Amino acid sequence: MKILVPIKRVVDYNVRVQVKPSGSVDLDNVKMSMNPFDEIAVEEAIRLKEQNKAKEIIAISIGPAQASETIRTALAMGADKGILVQSPERLEPLNVAKILKAIADKEKPDLIILGKQAIDDDCNQTGQMLAALLNWPQGTFASKLELNGDSITVTREVDGGLQTLALKRPAIITTDLRLNEPRYATLPNIMKAKKKPIEQTTPESYGINPAPRLEILETLPPKEREGGVKVESIKELVEKLRSEAGIL
Amino acid sequence: MMTEERRLIQETAEDFTRREVLPLADRLDSEKGDIPDSLIEKMGALGFFGILIPKEMGGMGLGVYEYCLVAEALSRGWMSVGSLLARGNGFYKRVPGDKARREERVKAMARGEYLGAYAISEPQAGSDVAGIECRAKREGAEWVITGNKYWCTFADRADFIYVIARTGAGEAGRRHLGLTGISLEKERGGFPEGLTGEPIPKIGYFGWKTWELRFDGARTSYENAGEEGRAFYSLAEDFAVMRAHTAARAIGLARGALEDALAYAQAREQFGRPIGSFQAIRFKLAKMSSEVAAARALLYETCAAMDGGGDMAVMAARAKYVASEMAERVSSEALQILGGAGYTTLHSVERYWRDSRLTKIFEGSSEIMLRIVSDSLLGRGGD
Repeated sequence: MKILVPIKRVVDYNVRVQVKPSGSVDLDNVKMSMNPFDEIAVEEAIRLKEQNKAKEIIAISIGPAQASETIRTALAMGADKGILVQSPERLEPLNVAKILKAIADKEKPDLIILGKQAIDDDCNQTGQMLAALLNWPQGTFASKLELNGDSITVTREVDGGLQTLALKRPAIITTDLRLNEPRYATLPNIMKAKKKPIEQTTPESYGINPAPRLEILETLPPKEREGGVKVESIKELVEKLRSEAGIL
Repeated sequence: MMTEERRLIQETAEDFTRREVLPLADRLDSEKGDIPDSLIEKMGALGFFGILIPKEMGGMGLGVYEYCLVAEALSRGWMSVGSLLARGNGFYKRVPGDKARREERVKAMARGEYLGAYAISEPQAGSDVAGIECRAKREGAEWVITGNKYWCTFADRADFIYVIARTGAGEAGRRHLGLTGISLEKERGGFPEGLTGEPIPKIGYFGWKTWELRFDGARTSYENAGEEGRAFYSLAEDFAVMRAHTAARAIGLARGALEDALAYAQAREQFGRPIGSFQAIRFKLAKMSSEVAAARALLYETCAAMDGGGDMAVMAARAKYVASEMAERVSSEALQILGGAGYTTLHSVERYWRDSRLTKIFEGSSEIMLRIVSDSLLGRGGD
């Protein structure tokens, strides 16, 4: 069984993101790393391989040349090979999904595991769009994944609790935070990753024009949080919820 | 040069520090608790104890550069954990046992399962290594060790203790020629017959105990010794690596202090705005970050030169001097930025400050480093 794991290079989750006066996010000298949800996707694929349920894991990243660093991290964790789709453009989920569909058509995987969203734009669209383009079943926000022959059982975290789906492969899975805890790349595996291949391609080679269709009008930092107040009684709390917060 | 491989190694070490080391340090340092075995096991699984062990012996076969990257990252969380690295790695050369057992033990060392402790200093012999008085006498197929040792960190938890002992008088005026390095096998967690000790009350460097040891007829096999009378020279080779390692630890501490101070300066408000908006604080932070960057550049240039081969004693001494003096200044400034909060154990800065103070003292004091550098500039001076 072959698993594709698309991974995105994003601003590290520990970085305090700042907006430049020119109105864009400051990416100069900022630490970049693999999107945490994608790390969970890589980990899940490796666990399936360790259980002898998968044979090959291909990590794909679409982005600037430096995205090869992100692929190398996935290879050091345990993926077998990488595909770097180099594109200088700002990528939107639909274009990403189209590129991934083209790769899926060529590689014919049994499973594509993606992060449910990237922590930079928080779109939460690529997995769903890819499922639609491929016309494959999807199990999004997975907190548990079980494979039995051709069938896949996915436990999903939804608003009301947990939902369990049975899917037939090939299928799309997107990962939620509680699916697993990703491993560290060990030093011996880092050394081994050096020899693993990374194929270099472009969106154009799949016949896809990566130009964005959406225009960013403005980038604003989140509103500063205002300090809270202490209330004396439940009555006062209810009053404030009604009059000030407008919740009740 | 920062290769892709080195970047990945650094990332793993930094990630590990953030997720595993820092939370432990923040909890255990203030209660003087011990670094748990589980952390050592995790470090072993990642390959941290085998960086300098040759590939054919079961290690990673990497260099001082990679060793220092990991030490720096770990010390950014807790210097004691950055220091633990040295209980494996280059220590593989001192592992006791016959050929077959040594091979097994070196492999185990690379996994963090067989670690050593140093016993070099004595109450009356610190910087003056040649003044060592602890004696080892040959009796049949064994060495019998008698004397006192000081500053033996991890001696209780180690699998062996590397003791520098006097096996001869040396020649007139060349006392150092009488010293031999002997590895004493022991059980992890205790002391063997003929060895007792007391923990030394320190003001920092917590997470493990540092011992005063009394050898009173402790025995080890005759084969567990390095070349007789040559320990001084053998140690001198280790010193350059130890000093680069200490510079890396100092830089890790300074980075921790700087990063904490930076975060605090942006969050703490006085006179209606973050203190990071006042020039007095901004310039402090700018100077601190410049000092850290300068020391790092010097250290990694030194590491690259060491990995390139040759005697880098002077470069290592310079890097150790610059980095440790810098770390004390930077962590002290960080404490100043935190103000009263910095003088509490509620923030990590005081730990970086206490621990950085030690980097100016151990593994060759700043004064000894200056002596080495000045001798290289002017020839050997008087005393």
